[in-house]
Amino acid sequence: MSRIGVFVCHCGENISATVNCEKVAKITGELKGVEFSTDYKYMCSDPGQTLLKEAIKEHKLDGVVVAACSPRMHEPTFRKACAEAGLNPFLCEMSNIREHCSWVHPKDDLTTEKAEDLVRVMVEKVKKNKALKSIKVPVTKTALVIGGGIAGIQAALDIANCGHKVIMVEKLPSIGGHMSQLSETFPTLDCSQCILTPRMVEIAQHPNITLHTYSEVESVDGFIGNFKIKIRKKSKSLDEHLCTGCGLCTTKCPQKKIPNEFERGLGFRPAIYVPFPQAVPNKPVIDRENCTYYIKGKCKVCEIVCPTKAIRFDQEDEVIEVEAGAIVMATGFDVLKSDYFPEYGFGKYKDVIDGLQFERLASASGPTQGEIRRPSDGQVPKKIVFVACAGSRDPAKGIEYCSKICCMYTAKHAMLYKHKVHDGTPYVFYMDIRAGGKMYEEFVRRTIVEDGTHYVRGRVSTIYEKNGKLIVKGADTLMGGIPIEIEADMVVLATAGVANKGAEELAQTVHISYDSYKFFAEAHPKLKPVETNTAGIFLAGACQAPKDIPESVAAASGAAVKVAALFSNDELTRDPLVAVVNRQAAPVYSACVGCFLCQSVCPYQAIEREEIKSRSGEIIKTLARVNEGLCQGCGTCVALCRTKAIDIHGYSNQQVYTEIMALLND
Amino acid sequence: MNDMIKKVTQLLTDKTIDVFIGYGKGSADRSRAIFVRTAEQAENLVFSANCTQNLAGYLLKHEVKHLGKLGILANVAALRSILQLASEFQIKDGEVLVLFANPDGSFTEFLDFHSIEGYLLTTETGITSGEQERIAALEAMSVSERWTFWNQEFEKCIKCYACRAACPMCYCHRCTTDVNQPQWIPVASHERGNLDYHLMRAMHLAGRCVNCGECANACPMDIPLNLLTYQLISPIKAGFGATAGMKSDAVYALSTYKPDDKENFII
Ligand SMILES: Cc1cc2nc3c(=O)[nH]c(=O)nc-3n(C[C@H](O)[C@H](O)[C@H](O)COP(=O)(O)OP(=O)(O)OC[C@H]3O[C@@H](n4cnc5c(N)ncnc54)[C@H](O)[C@@H]3O)c2cc1C
Ligand code: SF4
Ligand code: SF4
Ligand code: SF4
Repeated sequence: MSRIGVFVCHCGENISATVNCEKVAKITGELKGVEFSTDYKYMCSDPGQTLLKEAIKEHKLDGVVVAACSPRMHEPTFRKACAEAGLNPFLCEMSNIREHCSWVHPKDDLTTEKAEDLVRVMVEKVKKNKALKSIKVPVTKTALVIGGGIAGIQAALDIANCGHKVIMVEKLPSIGGHMSQLSETFPTLDCSQCILTPRMVEIAQHPNITLHTYSEVESVDGFIGNFKIKIRKKSKSLDEHLCTGCGLCTTKCPQKKIPNEFERGLGFRPAIYVPFPQAVPNKPVIDRENCTYYIKGKCKVCEIVCPTKAIRFDQEDEVIEVEAGAIVMATGFDVLKSDYFPEYGFGKYKDVIDGLQFERLASASGPTQGEIRRPSDGQVPKKIVFVACAGSRDPAKGIEYCSKICCMYTAKHAMLYKHKVHDGTPYVFYMDIRAGGKMYEEFVRRTIVEDGTHYVRGRVSTIYEKNGKLIVKGADTLMGGIPIEIEADMVVLATAGVANKGAEELAQTVHISYDSYKFFAEAHPKLKPVETNTAGIFLAGACQAPKDIPESVAAASGAAVKVAALFSNDELTRDPLVAVVNRQAAPVYSACVGCFLCQSVCPYQAIEREEIKSRSGEIIKTLARVNEGLCQGCGTCVALCRTKAIDIHGYSNQQVYTEIMALLND
Repeated sequence: MNDMIKKVTQLLTDKTIDVFIGYGKGSADRSRAIFVRTAEQAENLVFSANCTQNLAGYLLKHEVKHLGKLGILANVAALRSILQLASEFQIKDGEVLVLFANPDGSFTEFLDFHSIEGYLLTTETGITSGEQERIAALEAMSVSERWTFWNQEFEKCIKCYACRAACPMCYCHRCTTDVNQPQWIPVASHERGNLDYHLMRAMHLAGRCVNCGECANACPMDIPLNLLTYQLISPIKAGFGATAGMKSDAVYALSTYKPDDKENFII
């Protein structure tokens, strides 16, 4: 005979406004096996929990049902309280009479009756509950950081400086991300490379960090504390140990006219190349798509000139397997190119460029050595139009959000332009100036007041070329919408920040969720901004939404703390609500027939094979076995197993059946 | 015929196999399965147009399996059963000696799963045109007509479980029907008990049925049971490109998923 306690919570008025809580407590108190029942205003409060604990002791309860809010909210609270009173926490269940009852029904007798039903079902379930022991799993104290932009760099350094190992995976030949392409950075105008390069070098030299560039994550298995990751290291056609980074090969390569991605097409590079002078690692890779040898079968000039004989034409991709306890996603973002905009010439006007291209023009190491010269004829533009919100905040373009960084970098661009071309005239077309942030508004004011940038509030409707000039047509909405036409020498579009190509696939590979714009989704927009919904995987930087550098770095440090906190334990404790394969005496051993359909259906690769052997070592039977560390208790295998050989602790067939019967037999 | 007797006698005498599952003479002009363990017993083997039973159903039966190494006389359905059982890890390659009765009366020995797979690609494996017509008729019915049809059929069921015993894919040691803690499927042969049993049977065979028809053949109440599982064959092929019993290393259509799986079956 059970001795169950029922505790009905009013949740202030959230429940009691529509459900008669006293009545629920009274009626369910009469159920068979219920020893004690009561109702209370706030069960989760300190006095509420004390009431629960004392009742457990006083009435020697062997099961508890708390009828209150969703178990997602307070199951841990009440299970912990039970444990403190000496009752196995898994003998405590919650009936959700708030979200499932009081919030969705009017004040009515039927609503109270439904609450009674919900409690009754749980009382019957608890009768079948078993005391369970938490599972302990070890933690691999190595973090995987995917993406080597400023966010990934910051997260990796923070984690490594806490004494933990870090594996960094970067898709491109060098780390650095977008920040390495920037000229100077708002709001202080310090040189981007100067503040970034030391950190890139630190990554390469840190004893706790292993860097894999030109590499991508192929698969992620496992779970928090115990991820298993396959990394594809793309062939660089180079023996990195032999290469000294002298760069002779890059000067001799006959392919010289390949559009340079780092310069965003404003310059060229050879087929064997280092993306930029400060690259880490500072060793070349061969771009096989454009290499004469891979195309035509002969050339090998680089091999001939290489003083250390480091070139390896037959090198193949290598797939390595690593283990990590936590993952930080730091794959950043991308910006639209000018070819996205039919109204601005679809990319066919050479002098309509995007913001990143302007960064390259303004950069001392860029294609023009930092002089602002327009791409078409190399002239210094005397009149330049900056178009903010190119694509952003435009439902017609499918981008409804604000890209956040453009107002600031456009102000920066106008300022840099004036610093370099004193007699030039910059115009900025904008919708609103969003300059929230320390020293941001002051920065924009400086552009307007000190540098004399003309800010025009309105969208640019079209741009077209005429007699070597770009005709920019728009309207000034602050002047009653009067049409404006500017004959510009160059136009810079502050194009929307968007998710990377392939972000969706990557999210699926690592099993995290993403939003409708394919940016990675945080677990809670306010309270869990650097966590994902997948335990052990965290977010840093612009892969979550467009972010500027200070924000990316702050998020990265936040993610790093979460990782360090996780690694401060040697073991993780997990709820034992996992699947288990039935075992019984010889000669059957188990109802499992070893069809292993459960193995292919399990989304967490939690099902293993177990061989039952005779004393002489002969295999008698091969059965499924659940790896408790990997199983997430999703129950998919239970549904699939034809012979009902799998069951789930805490949600057993028997418990679910009892619950249904309790409702049907009412 | 003598060829086969000779071959089986030899296989038994040189101990390549311990038992051969073949056809013997049954009552009237019927044939039945026999389990040949000696050279004398081999003389009882027969083969004629009446020998159509899918003998693969015996391969996993406890009583048969424990007799030693098995040989079997297979028809097309039995070949498919063998591959399907292999994909479910119930038979290993080379574990069973497979003799196949060719339409012209000669016999072929299949040495491995691979050669069975190759042969099946060249031969007709689908359901008969008569069966196709009956399924088309069922599909032409409205949902409520079909519901009535099946309920009327299930009403006849006496729960003898002959269908389960005859099916080569029903090899669980403990059928869900026999689980009584909790008793999801009522044992009694009443309306709900029969419906639950047959729905469960159809679900458990979805995508695994090799259309041998043994369940319907075995049914003493003449319920056209096979139509239930046959009806699931074409949607599974259309939706997931899978047909049971064609590959020994196939993964089960209903236990695997891809991000681009069609979801048109979700109503
Ligand atoms: C024109 C322009 C000007 C800007 N100016 C400023 C400024 O002045 N001040 C400021 O604070 N901010 C500025 N920003 C914003 C700044 O660029 C971002 O805040 C910063 O780059 C975000 O860093 P991140 O590391 O999150 O992403 P990223 O810089 O995008 O880095 C992501 C890294 O991950 C790698 N990666 C991507 N996918 C994968 C994958 N699948 N596997 C492995 N690696 C992958 C990428 O190759 C890259 O190295 C500007 C942005 C633009 C577009
Ligand atoms: S599905 Fe069931 S019978 Fe098949 S292997 Fe898994 S546990 Fe065993
Ligand atoms: S419940 Fe079953 S399917 Fe789900 S994770 Fe556990 S073993 Fe895998
Ligand atoms: S063989 Fe026929 S009567 Fe027997 S259980 Fe199956 S359907 Fe019912």
